[in-house]
Amino acid sequence: MSSKLAVAPGSSKAYQTGDWRTQQPFYRDKWPPCSQVCPASEDIQGWLALASDRQWEAAWRKLSERNPFPATMGRICYHPCESACNRKHLDSAVNIHAMERYLGDLAIAQGWQHKGLKKISQSQRIAVVGAGPAGLTCAFQLARNGYPVTIFDAQAEPGGTLYNGIPDYRLPKSVLASEIDAILALGIELHLNTPVGMKISTGDLGDEFDAIFLAIGTQQPRRYQGSDISNHSVMGGIDFLHRLNRGEQIMLPKQVAVVGGGNTAIDVARCARRMGAEVSVVCAQDPHGSHHHKQGTEMPASLQEVVEAETEGVIFLYRTGVRRLVRSGEHLSGVEVARVDQVHDRHGDFNPLLFEGTEQFVPAGLVIFAIGQEVDWSGLESLEEATQADGVWIGGDAAGKPKMAAAAVDSGFQAAMSILAVLKGESPVTDAHKKAQITFKQMQLHYYPKQTRHEGEACEQRLDGFDEIVKGLADSDAEHEAGRCLSCGVCFECDNCWHFCPDAAVIKKTGSYEIDYDYCKGCGICAQECPCGHIDMEAVTE
Amino acid sequence: MKKLLEGSQAVAEAVRLCRPQVVAAYPITPQTHIIERLAQHVADGELEAEFINAESEFGAASLVLGAVVGGTRAFTATASQGLLLMTEVLYNIAGMRLPVVMVCANRAIGAPINIFSDHQDSMALRDAGWIQLYVESNQEAVDSVIQAYRIAEACELPVMLCMDGFFLTHTFEPVELPTQTAVDEYLPAFHFDRTLDPGQPMTLGGGSEPDNYQEFRMAQHDAMENAVTVVEAFDTSFGEQFGRVYNGLVQAYRLEGAQTVLLGLGSLMGAVRDVVDKLRDQGQLVGALRLRCFRPFPAQTLVQQLGVTQRIIVLEKAFSAGAGGIVATELRAALQQAGMTTAVESVIGGLGGRDLTPEVIEAIFHGAQLDDNGASCRFVPHEYNPVE
Amino acid sequence: MDKRDPFRHNVLTSGHRACSGCGEAMAARMVTDLIGPDAIYVNATGCLQVFTTHNEQSAWQAPWIHSVFANAAAVASGIEAALRARGKDTPVVVQAGDGGTFDIGLQCLSGMIERGHDVLFVCYDNEAYMNTGVQRSSSTPHAVRTTTSPSGRLSQGKHHLKKDVISIIAAHHPPYAATATVAYFPDLKAKVEKAMSMKGPRFLQVLSPCPLGWEHDSALSVTVSRLAVETGLFPLLELEHGELTGVMRLAVQKPVEDYLRLQGRFKHLFGTKEGAVELRHLQALADARIRRYGLLEAETEWDTERSSQVSRHGRGGYVIAQRGMGRELDNEL
Repeated sequence: MSSKLAVAPGSSKAYQTGDWRTQQPFYRDKWPPCSQVCPASEDIQGWLALASDRQWEAAWRKLSERNPFPATMGRICYHPCESACNRKHLDSAVNIHAMERYLGDLAIAQGWQHKGLKKISQSQRIAVVGAGPAGLTCAFQLARNGYPVTIFDAQAEPGGTLYNGIPDYRLPKSVLASEIDAILALGIELHLNTPVGMKISTGDLGDEFDAIFLAIGTQQPRRYQGSDISNHSVMGGIDFLHRLNRGEQIMLPKQVAVVGGGNTAIDVARCARRMGAEVSVVCAQDPHGSHHHKQGTEMPASLQEVVEAETEGVIFLYRTGVRRLVRSGEHLSGVEVARVDQVHDRHGDFNPLLFEGTEQFVPAGLVIFAIGQEVDWSGLESLEEATQADGVWIGGDAAGKPKMAAAAVDSGFQAAMSILAVLKGESPVTDAHKKAQITFKQMQLHYYPKQTRHEGEACEQRLDGFDEIVKGLADSDAEHEAGRCLSCGVCFECDNCWHFCPDAAVIKKTGSYEIDYDYCKGCGICAQECPCGHIDMEAVTE
Repeated sequence: MKKLLEGSQAVAEAVRLCRPQVVAAYPITPQTHIIERLAQHVADGELEAEFINAESEFGAASLVLGAVVGGTRAFTATASQGLLLMTEVLYNIAGMRLPVVMVCANRAIGAPINIFSDHQDSMALRDAGWIQLYVESNQEAVDSVIQAYRIAEACELPVMLCMDGFFLTHTFEPVELPTQTAVDEYLPAFHFDRTLDPGQPMTLGGGSEPDNYQEFRMAQHDAMENAVTVVEAFDTSFGEQFGRVYNGLVQAYRLEGAQTVLLGLGSLMGAVRDVVDKLRDQGQLVGALRLRCFRPFPAQTLVQQLGVTQRIIVLEKAFSAGAGGIVATELRAALQQAGMTTAVESVIGGLGGRDLTPEVIEAIFHGAQLDDNGASCRFVPHEYNPVE
Repeated sequence: MDKRDPFRHNVLTSGHRACSGCGEAMAARMVTDLIGPDAIYVNATGCLQVFTTHNEQSAWQAPWIHSVFANAAAVASGIEAALRARGKDTPVVVQAGDGGTFDIGLQCLSGMIERGHDVLFVCYDNEAYMNTGVQRSSSTPHAVRTTTSPSGRLSQGKHHLKKDVISIIAAHHPPYAATATVAYFPDLKAKVEKAMSMKGPRFLQVLSPCPLGWEHDSALSVTVSRLAVETGLFPLLELEHGELTGVMRLAVQKPVEDYLRLQGRFKHLFGTKEGAVELRHLQALADARIRRYGLLEAETEWDTERSSQVSRHGRGGYVIAQRGMGRELDNEL
């Protein structure tokens, strides 16, 4: 019989319909907005995905690749990632902050150790000055890559501002210590109580080490013009926090005024509240709000901190500056304040002008000034202008305007990568964030089930002492919260493209998909229905 | 042993003996007794088959199409309007080269609606690619059903067995029914290469384009032309086994020296042979030829048998409006192609069940007092219609 | 067999000539892979048949036959009868468009169900005779423009309403009848699997958008099918023995305009007074269907929101094992 009466199965595959298309799909990972705004450039989607699969240790390691301080950051970071999180357009942002803390705390509890990419075996040595987040992170990255590092710090305890500047109720000392120990356990040498420039000269440093990373932070507080620094009625904010964190007992009067609009001022205020004082914050800038944000007059402290402080009974005076201190005999009776005209002057410098006739008296037995910090270069003057060509890198708060701790971590990472490149004689690898961004408009949010955001339990009593206000996530919640990540722009194998392709041109492999370009007609359905915006359609070029 | 059986009953018995596993049909006069008998066989367990009451003839033809590609022998029967209704499917069956056997209980076509016998229905399907055999008697119907399955399955061509409605279907005649063993011996178990089976997936009935369609038709035509041999051969072997033959393609009667031969199809030939005998007794050199196999058209055999005579009258119970006799036209073409100039007269009669009596047939032989409708054909006039 | 993909057979494989973005190809690909290659497929004439068996090539990797336009249900019934007579239990599946189901095919379909044949009949409903060039069928909804129901000075498109075929089928009391669409794959999967677990005549009507005939962007086929359901215009139902046994509840009722605006076949309704009347009519039809089937009140967890949700690490769910064929599994995990 004629074979044409029966046609062979699947013989249509000889006809390659891929010729038809005028556009074609590509599977391309995107860089989600959380990672985009994270100062440490963490692959947040990456470690959340592992966490959602209960691969806790793998998640912690992935996180630590960029940020070895998850337990710390999960407590003190102001999580811009959550503000950028696309999930807020569905129900509410993923609790990345709490997840980071969960992984950090779990690592501490389980005693997980960092694994270096290589054992420390290189002959070139690096010196890090300052055991703060920038310095420790730089050391961490270098040690991971097999380079011996020695850290010098002037203080008795490592941690820099993390230790000195942040009160216990925000970051318990034990948590910080555990994370620092885990970093040091890679084989990093730490010399405490060793101020460089004094106990060891910069010259010696240059001789002994092949590269130097300066991460000395901003230890010098800005001084209030017109105050007597030796007077016990006036104190610097950083000084106050340092003393408190070192365990010193400080006696506070009944009323305390705190001057400043940054996070340090808030930390000071909230500490003072816990110590039983009535606290007013005198802030030259405006409160949070989109109008003020646009004008650039918004106070720099994080909104969350301000809200917490207000909940704790701190009084805020906005757009208000100090005119003079009012004494009563040897003591301070209070501060005369007035409304501020403009916050910054013509040059853009912080230089508030006060309106006459708007004076107000704020009673206080102590005024604490938290009006900014500067780098203290004493002993290191020779390195102030040094550059990479001299083998000197500068990072963290010392390198520019003070930012978040996560930015310091990133600074340490970038310096380490740069140092590695120079020591190896290679050109530096610029951070490969060439992946495109992804907005919620490029996603199909209706594909995701709505789920309430999980929070750590909040403690009722706040002002009893310096215990943490919020607990970490419950174990049963962590997996689910991680699962709330939309995986913006990164495939999570939902199978949509594979189910919907009318031409069987999407092939499913274990863990991934492939387009069979021999047959893809470029209809665009896969890209349209991908929940996370992973697929790009591009015009076919000749 | 012979039994007195109504034609429909006889055919039903023959079908039963062929062991179809699916019988599907829609009732239409005069086929009803065939399918009713088969339904009873199934109900009594005498025929192991699925009996499906189709929702129409179109459905019935489709059901047997499905049954065959599903791997079983199948049967259906119809007539007239029903045959036309299933036309689309009949072409489909032939085009897909499926071994389907169907009995057509020849009946006139409306409008005007008419339940009585003529050959217009099956003749209307002559181009569909089905083998068409026209039987003269109930015995021949029985025997030809059995042969039809063998022919269909060997050639992968569908076979339409035509038997005159009422004249055969509703008439009792003595019929010899073969035994089951004998039929099983003659007719092997059903086998069809292109049975649908997940173990051997194939696509049937796919699209065709200008550059490959003709070849399907050419293959079909070749198969049909070869079927001439097959029809003859299986009739011969049937005769060898059962003792009854029908000469395959044509049955000649007293053609020796005949100057006039009357050619016809179906049950009327019995009366024709009586007339031939009468006229021969009167000294007229006449003969008769029954055309059994109309499709494929056995041109060679016909030319060979009719070559010696001077005058051929083709008496048909169907015609092509505006063109004339159908068989007559095809015969003329065959003779002309063989270089012969024998005169062929086309006579149309018996339409709508009108009786063709010996008197009428005799008059046809004489060629007298018949209407002259021009050259294409002549219709048997009304005066000859036997009215009681 | 197609060894490209270890997770399904591709009973309907690549190389077919469907238009880019074809909803029917998508639906048929889904349904046949849910049923698997161990079945016999009978196809009516129409788009699916034409674009899969063109030019002596076939995109089918299972036994498949096409006869004529109107008789798929009857051919399938014949095959089923033959299989039964031979003692085989290979499933028989019909695939037809709305033409081969609602109109020219209705007679054979009715006969098939009435006689109780063990056949699954799947109608891919693209709401017009698409293959011959977008002529109206009885499935074409009200006010749609087609080539034989065009809009014009005196017309707003198809005057008559979409034939309620599921009610016609239900009146035969078959063991199972359901409506589904491509946007809700888990729902379609559940229905196919349920149908395949039952015996007797079963019916599925799968709404299948047609970018060409419905005049929408090829990328929107799934989106459009989702909106058809979310507006209430195409209710997703299950009926057993003629009784309504389940509906997909609308988590949110979307206005019909959300659906209509995406499709050029409704374009003539926007911007004219007469068109506006039809828009209101279409909304009223949607409201009526919602009311009739209780699509907003139904007490069920099965709703448009839940049924649309994806999860990580999807595992497909198509048939990949070969039953008793003595051949290697195509699963190369």
